[in-house]
Amino acid sequence: MQRSLFFLVILGSALLVALAWAENPQVPITESGVVAHGPVRVGNLPPVIAPADNPQTSAKILLGKKVYFDTRLSKDNTVSCATCHDPSKGWSDSGPTSKGINSQMGGRRSPPVVNAAHSRLQFWDGRAPTLEEQAKGPIQNPIEMGNTHDAMLRTLNDIPGYVTEFKSVFGTSPITVDQVAQAIAAFERTVVTTDSPFDRFVQGDVSALTPLEKQGLEIFNGKGHCSACHWGGQLSDGRFHNLGVEPIEPGKPDEGRRAVTKSERDFGAFKTPTIRDVAARAPYLHTGKEQTLEDVVRLYNRGGGPEDANLDPMMLPLGLSETEIKALVAFMTRAMTSTNPEVADVKPIPAAELPK
Amino acid sequence: MKRLTLLIVSALTLLVLLPEPSQAIPALARKYGFNCNMCHTSFTKLNDYGQRFRDNGYQQPGQEGLEKTVFETFPPISLRTSTGLMIMHEPDSKSTTSGFHLNGLDLLAAGVMHKNISFLMIYTPRIDEPRAGYASVGSMDPSQPGALESANLVFSNLVQDVLSLRVGRFEPGYQAISSKRSYYLLQPYEVYEFSTPGNNFVFADNQIGIEATGHFREGIKYAAGIVNGSGANPDNNNAKDLYANVSKTFGRGEGQSSGQRVGAFGYLGWVPTSLMVPFSGATGDGDGKINKSFYRIGGHASLNYNTFNLQALFMYGSDDKAIGPVRAVSQGKYHFTGGFGRLDWAALPNNRMVASAMFNWITPPDFDKSSRVRAISTLVRYYLGDWTAVNVALHGEYTYRETGYTTIAKQHQFAALLDFDF
Repeated sequence: MQRSLFFLVILGSALLVALAWAENPQVPITESGVVAHGPVRVGNLPPVIAPADNPQTSAKILLGKKVYFDTRLSKDNTVSCATCHDPSKGWSDSGPTSKGINSQMGGRRSPPVVNAAHSRLQFWDGRAPTLEEQAKGPIQNPIEMGNTHDAMLRTLNDIPGYVTEFKSVFGTSPITVDQVAQAIAAFERTVVTTDSPFDRFVQGDVSALTPLEKQGLEIFNGKGHCSACHWGGQLSDGRFHNLGVEPIEPGKPDEGRRAVTKSERDFGAFKTPTIRDVAARAPYLHTGKEQTLEDVVRLYNRGGGPEDANLDPMMLPLGLSETEIKALVAFMTRAMTSTNPEVADVKPIPAAELPK
Repeated sequence: MKRLTLLIVSALTLLVLLPEPSQAIPALARKYGFNCNMCHTSFTKLNDYGQRFRDNGYQQPGQEGLEKTVFETFPPISLRTSTGLMIMHEPDSKSTTSGFHLNGLDLLAAGVMHKNISFLMIYTPRIDEPRAGYASVGSMDPSQPGALESANLVFSNLVQDVLSLRVGRFEPGYQAISSKRSYYLLQPYEVYEFSTPGNNFVFADNQIGIEATGHFREGIKYAAGIVNGSGANPDNNNAKDLYANVSKTFGRGEGQSSGQRVGAFGYLGWVPTSLMVPFSGATGDGDGKINKSFYRIGGHASLNYNTFNLQALFMYGSDDKAIGPVRAVSQGKYHFTGGFGRLDWAALPNNRMVASAMFNWITPPDFDKSSRVRAISTLVRYYLGDWTAVNVALHGEYTYRETGYTTIAKQHQFAALLDFDF
């Protein structure tokens, strides 16, 4: 009797702990903006949650899509968001770094827009806390769109079609920078991929992955150490790591996250990108110097790049064999490539169909 | 009758020599959703990542304060045991003993309580009930006594990377090559288990005390501690033992699965040659008298090539002459050397299989040559599981062991086990 009572108490306590945990799903955020409660197992993406001050509406999403593909946001009408975040190139570009107005080359690879809605912080160095803030940045970056917010607003406010649509969506005019950013962000929150063979596999469809891909997943989550940083539904910790990658210009290291936090621990650290749809957006890393996924895996297999200063302590040689590298690449290539039609079928809006 | 006694004693000797169950903490893998091989080359041996994770107080290296604490997760409890057939054959007496066994049980709990404050608890309950009768064998019963094998708090990064403190009962850092996380279930590191006459210090035992650890960017690591030395609670004397272990890893890694690590360790202890009986301290501690010193020093290396890992340790030990039974003047102090070399190979994707060969030796002083040991061991482990965990090992192990010098006792030991944890 005493023993039964003891087990009941233990079971009850465990149940209470489990319930308390299950009913408390809020995700704490640290002062630096990164998610505090990880790692968690790789799996499906949760639904996107739009901020309260920028709710999703069909009209806003469509307006955002038009703005996204409109080169008139740039100083010389040559660069749109889609120039560097091209749906046909995995919502990035052909790299190695991005080309802005007057064929100027940026200092970093274009981060993918796909699933950016699930990132806590935007840009490689996480300097923007929201998609809305991110959307404002490239417009006035001198080597991206090269414009000013004021000049861009003058342009848009001179286009009657936009004035009408913005007023219809936001209820005010003239158009403001915040409205432009909110519209773009609303569209970007629809660029989310949730249906890959990997997603189907973790939902229980054991035939969704080939034997080689299953092997790759096991290595991804084990010996390959990939999920140490590429975890959760996003397959990214949203945090910042120094992989020891050589700078684009020898002798001129990119300080990365340190520019934001001013902490030496963040020197040369860049945000972990998602693995979702990764095969569509070669070349890789913030420098765009790794041409294929296999190259990236080999970099990790060596324990990172040659730069030792401030190398992330999680960067360690992996001892992967050729078979294991092949399995890992197979997993990241087909198994992580989504088939969401609403994303896969996004086509650029021709200039002729944009508001006039 | 004599043969039966020999058989029983041989079998029980084998069981008593079994190393304590090794450590693997699936609760941490569950917490993160990681496969076991994130931290282990294959369980139970830590890889470089797992070593850094452990050194960092069970926190992801460089990610302190960014994970769930034990108050935000399911209770972080794990279990580990192994079971199967164990056989021993002694060719001289043509005797063979065999039996199906449960080879220990670990109840483990570990986790982060607050940023840079974590804990580890390992309880090993008695597993010898019910048991067959072993009339007149007494203390040689094949039992795993109930014990709190580990119970410690880790205060990590008191000085970032350079100083952490471990307090309580723990696996001391002078065990440069962990006996708790060896693949071998049957064959211990002999020199770790070697007990000199009159000295209850056993290198493999966990200790109670305080240990400081840290590492530097140059690949240098240290561990230094002050402990009871007897491994016991309560202790039998007031003298505290001291130790240090320093290692350097060349290349990236910790020397566990990459990089090349070399190091040296030293242990200085005191044992009483006279005990107060009964114990007199308020907490049961004795104030053993006439403490005499002993020390252990040695070097170790862990070298890696692809998925091959060669680990070796050499130890020299010396006990004061006053420790142990009275000896002839000419015999002097008790000096011995010992060590082991072990070559592990991890094969198949995600290291689903490991094979290993190991040589152990102990060379005691001339006046105690019967304690001489030579042992050659080999094993193969194949792991079952899927992408979430590879936590069931099919374990085959063989050892040929010789003890003594003028009269050598030979033993063949074999085990086919299932080793699992969750």
